[in-house]
Amino acid sequence: MTDTTAAPAFRGASLTEPDARTRRRNAAERRFRLLGVGAVAIGLVALVILLGSILNNGLSAFRQTYITFPITLDAAVLDKQGNRNPEEMKKVTTIGYGKLMQQALLDALDEQGIDKGDLTDKEIMALLSKEAPADLRDAVLADPSVVGQTIPVNAFATSRLDGYLKGRVTMESATRDANISPEQLQLADRMEAAGLIEKRLNWGFLTRPDASELRPEAAGLGVAILGSAYMMIVVLVLSLPIGVAASIYLEELAPKNRWTDLIEINIANLAAVPSIVFGILALALFINTWGLPQSAPLVGGLVLTLMTLPTIIIATRASLKAVPPSIRDAALGVGASKMQAIFHHVLPLAMPGILTGTILGLARALGESAPLLLIGMVAFVRDFPGAPPQGLLDPASALPVQVYTWTQRADPAFVERASGAIIVLLVFLLTMNALAIILRRRFERRW
Amino acid sequence: MNDMRLTERVVTDTAKMTARGVQVHYGTNHALKDVDVDILDKTVTAFIGPSGCGKSTFLRCLNRMNDTVASARVTGKIEMDGQDIYDPRVDPVQLRAKVGMVFQKPNPFPKSIYDNVAYGPKIHGLARGKAELDEIVETSLKKAALWNEVKDRLSAPGTGLSGGQQQRLCIARAVATSPEVLLMDEPCSALDPIATAQVEELIDELRSQFSVVIVTHSMQQAARVSQRTAFFHLGYLVEYGETGKIFTNPDDPRTESYITGRIG
Amino acid sequence: MSLGLLLLLLLALTAIAFVAGRQRALASVRGDARDLHSLPGYYGQTVALFTAVPALLFTLLWLLVQPVLIERNVTAMILPEDIAVGSSRDLVMADVRRIAEGMAVLQARESLADGEIAALATQPDALKDRLSSVGVALAADIRPHIAEAALEYRAETAFGRSVMGAGALGLAVAGFLLSLWRLTPQFRARNVVERFTGVLLIAASSIAILTTAGIIFSLVFETYHFFELYPARDFFLNLTWSPKFGGGSELGLWPLLWGTMYVSFIALLVAVPIGLMSAIYLSEYASPAIRSVAKPAIEILAGIPSIVYGLFALMTVGPFLRDWFAQPLGLGDSSSSVMTAGIVMGIMLIPYVSSLSDDIINAVPQAMRDGSYALGATQSETIRQVVFPAALPGIVGAILMAGSRAIGETMIVVLGAGAAAKLDLNPFEAMTTVTVKIVSQLTGDTEFASPETLVAFALGLTLFVFTLGLNILALYIVRKYREQYE
Repeated sequence: MTDTTAAPAFRGASLTEPDARTRRRNAAERRFRLLGVGAVAIGLVALVILLGSILNNGLSAFRQTYITFPITLDAAVLDKQGNRNPEEMKKVTTIGYGKLMQQALLDALDEQGIDKGDLTDKEIMALLSKEAPADLRDAVLADPSVVGQTIPVNAFATSRLDGYLKGRVTMESATRDANISPEQLQLADRMEAAGLIEKRLNWGFLTRPDASELRPEAAGLGVAILGSAYMMIVVLVLSLPIGVAASIYLEELAPKNRWTDLIEINIANLAAVPSIVFGILALALFINTWGLPQSAPLVGGLVLTLMTLPTIIIATRASLKAVPPSIRDAALGVGASKMQAIFHHVLPLAMPGILTGTILGLARALGESAPLLLIGMVAFVRDFPGAPPQGLLDPASALPVQVYTWTQRADPAFVERASGAIIVLLVFLLTMNALAIILRRRFERRW
Repeated sequence: MNDMRLTERVVTDTAKMTARGVQVHYGTNHALKDVDVDILDKTVTAFIGPSGCGKSTFLRCLNRMNDTVASARVTGKIEMDGQDIYDPRVDPVQLRAKVGMVFQKPNPFPKSIYDNVAYGPKIHGLARGKAELDEIVETSLKKAALWNEVKDRLSAPGTGLSGGQQQRLCIARAVATSPEVLLMDEPCSALDPIATAQVEELIDELRSQFSVVIVTHSMQQAARVSQRTAFFHLGYLVEYGETGKIFTNPDDPRTESYITGRIG
Repeated sequence: MSLGLLLLLLLALTAIAFVAGRQRALASVRGDARDLHSLPGYYGQTVALFTAVPALLFTLLWLLVQPVLIERNVTAMILPEDIAVGSSRDLVMADVRRIAEGMAVLQARESLADGEIAALATQPDALKDRLSSVGVALAADIRPHIAEAALEYRAETAFGRSVMGAGALGLAVAGFLLSLWRLTPQFRARNVVERFTGVLLIAASSIAILTTAGIIFSLVFETYHFFELYPARDFFLNLTWSPKFGGGSELGLWPLLWGTMYVSFIALLVAVPIGLMSAIYLSEYASPAIRSVAKPAIEILAGIPSIVYGLFALMTVGPFLRDWFAQPLGLGDSSSSVMTAGIVMGIMLIPYVSSLSDDIINAVPQAMRDGSYALGATQSETIRQVVFPAALPGIVGAILMAGSRAIGETMIVVLGAGAAAKLDLNPFEAMTTVTVKIVSQLTGDTEFASPETLVAFALGLTLFVFTLGLNILALYIVRKYREQYE
């Protein structure tokens, strides 16, 4: 009976000499292991390519091509009354400034002895951004004393010229482009050689508002960053107290009954509801029913709060749970009420964990765009929102939504700016996550 | 079956496995210090000693289960039939097919009873067909004295059996690969007295086919089932010899203290 | 009285109430706090609560009710002939509100008296000019009747505001006096405060339920509207999606659902094997050093916002697939395609699948692995034949959850999948999804009451039902599975 089951080939096998079957099995083992290495490698490579392509496309957005030349701000044109009153000087439109700039640019070319080729004055002027005269006008109105002087201007070059210097536009593509011609680019080459054209760091990318379709070179993230900041304030102010209150109730006080079960199920499900559905809720409830304005950071903040709450509640409950019961018993043992035990002892001990969870929740909210599309955040907003609280109702944009709007525009220069905006967004996210990690490292308590 | 057991009840003197100067470290913890033991063929050897004395650690060295613990480091020499099992050329997979193991807590796979037992033969390719596999499963379950209880529900999940049945299923599973040595790590500690008695009876029967090494907390159990006993204390092998001698006339005062219940 | 001023007054009253309550409690025991039932601060808090809470609740209620009432009164003033062709009562009402707001701005800017505004309302053209000078532009001419309605709107709003202010302040003072009067040393102030805190905590935790209710209510309500304008049969059975803003749209769900499923399927095809294998490798094979680097690195993928993936699809993956696969194979020349969106979404889901599977694989008891190793199984045999089957229910749950994420994902498909609704098998064709169409139908400048806009709510409801169903199923499976090892 005992012999029937024995497999002779196996019995006699030496331990050091693997038989064919074992060799096969070990080969399968190595293949499986290799598959695992491959899977991890694919994940890592995807991460590297993702970040690499964003950096590669977007870093150049932080540098911009400028044309620098001296301009004489003719008082006869800009300030006919001569009393330097900004209110009166407002009558001169950007067209007036444009003419002045055109003349100054042509003069600068002549002075440097740069061959203008067959280009008309208008074509030469087209090298400048259409935003440049408006910028000059703003600068003069802000400081009327410069009128009558000769000052150097740093004007944005048009995005095609900028693209030429960054390699996005080539002589060949310019032949097919209505907005720029090879002759213009040749002139730009000569101007660059003479030092009139230069690529420099562009802080305006972070501070300026968005610009129109035809002026990508002037577009910036100022309104979007401010709008995102406002929304984060709203989210923080609402979701932290509400989230902590809800967690305390559910973790410390709630009786085990149908109602609390219902709440628990709801929280778990809300965490999985697609973000776009929250956008629909915001549109139907906040905007159509309550009549809150579109594009307002307050509305964006509200919808992001609803989305962030489950995350914060889950994190908070975890850190409340991590506080050992002995602490509660100790407090109750000296006659504290249940509320006192929670608020004096448990909550302070759980605070680092709660803050970490909140920061991570905020980071997720900061990157969220889908619901914001539906509440009108895609609108073209050039004016900075006012100071809170009133400013929370002013139209604004948001960082991720700005990325989306820029991708929807025809000019390829906006793709560069969209990538640049992503870099800014990622830097913010990285900072928040680093903060959360530091907080956790420094204050984490092991019981 | 019974008469076979009677005829084969002999204590052989040939060493199946020999351990010389075995040391085990878990990280910085020196768990086992300089152990020399001979495991005899077709014999039940019991390892006894207080908790944390290293008896389970040593057991896990015998089939290189310590390899799965990242921090474990084993030095010294353990041979099986004259082959060093820690030789780098030795494939632990092949070794474990020859040195089976049964654990403290019954750990049937979440599969059917049949698949639990067939698992080992399948991965080692011991059966040439379905019929042969059926036969291996049947004989293994019979050897584990479980066949009569489960023969009508072989496709039921193994996790649905009672604790004692689960442990016998695990023994059947280990027996199915026809090991030469069977290691048992406190196989009865999670069982009630009746199940314990069944398993003990089983161990006695299994001795006719392989060497059995059993780690136990219970001195009565060691006295009941084993022919040879090793007493471990604080990582040292204190005394090793005939079970009868260890329990009635130990050489070492520590062994005597433990047997009489003064340490442990 | 403006809302801000009212709130400031209430805040001040509350502060006074706190101090007064505390003082009175101390005074009643001649400064010996030991004779009080609770700490003196609790008495202050009690009085402050009685002062602030009823007044604030009243204000909130009033703010919710007043617009509805006024709206009803003023809407009743609008005559049928005020409603131009193609317009609606709601649009006219919106005009009324804008005129009223414009009047307020005008009054504030140029410090006009109420009488002057009323006089202005009798000259609609002048009113229109003045309004546009303060930035309130109106499309149509103002009918005298409408201007009157705007005046009425203003008057009722102002009246409502003053009643609200008076009521709130009255309640606050009454609560203050009443609670102060009731203070005795035996009064259980702490219990009152704590009970109130408890109610507040319950209210906070109920917000989750309110949110769900709000979502369901708004989706169902607007979907019902949609089905009044467009037959539900066509929505569920029509195989074409072609919205036309002139009317005669075909709004069939199937092309969108097909696109959604196709993209999600490809995403899972990418994410599940890679996520699962990396989870297995990292939890079973990798050395601690490799794990400590690779695990967080893969988790970074989970922290990247989906707009970033969308841009990645648009900028990098789309053109790459088009130039290297679709065009050479003659499968199309669109850079946005099901494949583009699917692959990028798959990358996004890798960390999701891998961290869920990691948890599940680690939940398989070590004893199970030991049992297999002790029989001489190799590590991969153990994983494939013991760990994996044991973890299978949990892994299925994780895949369902990942699928629900894929279905609800928006930005990647908006930027990567395209906008053409079609039923096609070619994965290199641009197709569209439910979420893309929700965005495109709700971000245009369309009239809100048209079926082309309202269909977005029906789509939203479909999406909500799908994801919710998948999640509940997944949670159920995972919970069942957890119980197995507890």
